[in-house]
Amino acid sequence: MDDIVYLDHGATSWPKPPQVVDAVADALAEYGGNPGRGAHRLALATARMIHGARRDLAGFLGVDDARDLLFQPGCTQALNLMLRGLIAPGDRVVTTSIEHNAVARPLNLLAREGVDVVVVAADETGTVSAQAIAAALAQAPTRAVVFQHASNLTGAIQPVAEIVAAAHAAGALALVDGAQAGGHLDVQLSSLRVDAWACSGHKGMLGPQGIGVLYLAPDCRPAPLVTGGTGGGSSADAQQPDVRPDRYEAGTPNTPGIAGLGAAARFLAQDADVQRAEERRLARRLHEGILAIGGFRVLGPGPDVPRVPIVSAVHERLDADRLAFVLDREWGVAVRAGLHCAPWAHESLGTAATGALRFGVGWRNTDAHIETALSALARLVGEA
Amino acid sequence: MAREPQAFVVLGFPSTHDALDAESLLGDLGIDVVPIPTPKSIGALCGIALRIAPADEQRATAYLQSAGIGISAHATILDV
Repeated sequence: MDDIVYLDHGATSWPKPPQVVDAVADALAEYGGNPGRGAHRLALATARMIHGARRDLAGFLGVDDARDLLFQPGCTQALNLMLRGLIAPGDRVVTTSIEHNAVARPLNLLAREGVDVVVVAADETGTVSAQAIAAALAQAPTRAVVFQHASNLTGAIQPVAEIVAAAHAAGALALVDGAQAGGHLDVQLSSLRVDAWACSGHKGMLGPQGIGVLYLAPDCRPAPLVTGGTGGGSSADAQQPDVRPDRYEAGTPNTPGIAGLGAAARFLAQDADVQRAEERRLARRLHEGILAIGGFRVLGPGPDVPRVPIVSAVHERLDADRLAFVLDREWGVAVRAGLHCAPWAHESLGTAATGALRFGVGWRNTDAHIETALSALARLVGEA
Repeated sequence: MAREPQAFVVLGFPSTHDALDAESLLGDLGIDVVPIPTPKSIGALCGIALRIAPADEQRATAYLQSAGIGISAHATILDV
């Protein structure tokens, strides 16, 4: 697979760091016991590995008490726990027009059950202002503001601290989809003062697929989405335990996924700042290079504005799906075209009819990858 | 020859995470601590309890409390 120019990190990161691959393999070989379900050496080894991974992730994400960081089967499940556990019929919720389906669809379902969902428009760069959120909050008592940390379509970074402040000033919870932020941005959750924040393990966090995290502030207490065995509190009255993390981690966990994600957190912690600067430099080069080809509109903020390393473009006459197909087949450049599971966001930016060609830069990309992608794109446009 | 039972103190915790935090902290303090299956007699807690010598009980509980680790139950058991 060495000949692939992989620029689809917005969907999932590839390759994984060798430490992550090794940790997953070690988990399958060494951590076969069921954590928390016994005290024999294999169960203990597994429980210790998970305990260490949770603490390492908490340290990386700036969580004061590791018990507030919950392992979940992905960001989507974490978002469902957050939304369904905290929002009920009769509540009012403010969200944004730039959300991904992992937020939009659960909110649509809640709306059908009697939740008043108010959508605040993003601006032409895909950014939502705290003032616009505050204006929506001023209109009626609101249970929660639900919004993304960074866009999977434009790479725009939302003003999270300001939106959190606006939400809290109005007595609303601040619930954040951090799928595209984790790993790519320096996220310090306890000081950010969010009430809940969900994240994929497999994108910028560089872990395996099928694992994610949910951070809950100490006083944020959603109802569990899934109940069942936790290994503890096996009381006769069949109540889900009240303690974290057990309350929100029913069932045997994804031990290999947790091992891999813990290793990824340790890997990222080594030189995250250097890596982030490099990702941002490459994304800017890509952005400027696409604009220089001509005929493309690049979505989101301009090249000078900090973003997560996602660059999406729409050509004035060439179809994004066709471009992505030819980039892959003829040039070995892997990107994602279409609506990116974000029809709200595309509608918001006026690209619902065309979709876009999305490049997601990641930790192993090089200048040569970017130049190959740009050369290929220029040839395709020139030949068309 | 039958082994002579010894008295131990068992500390129970609300979650496996707390139990492993406590194991690490007590180890750092130089206390000999052994994770064991939680005895049914001390209630429905997490599956792992910690066994320590009675002589360490006071020091251990005071230290864990100061570190914010909640001890859900403790008991003296006769074990081998």
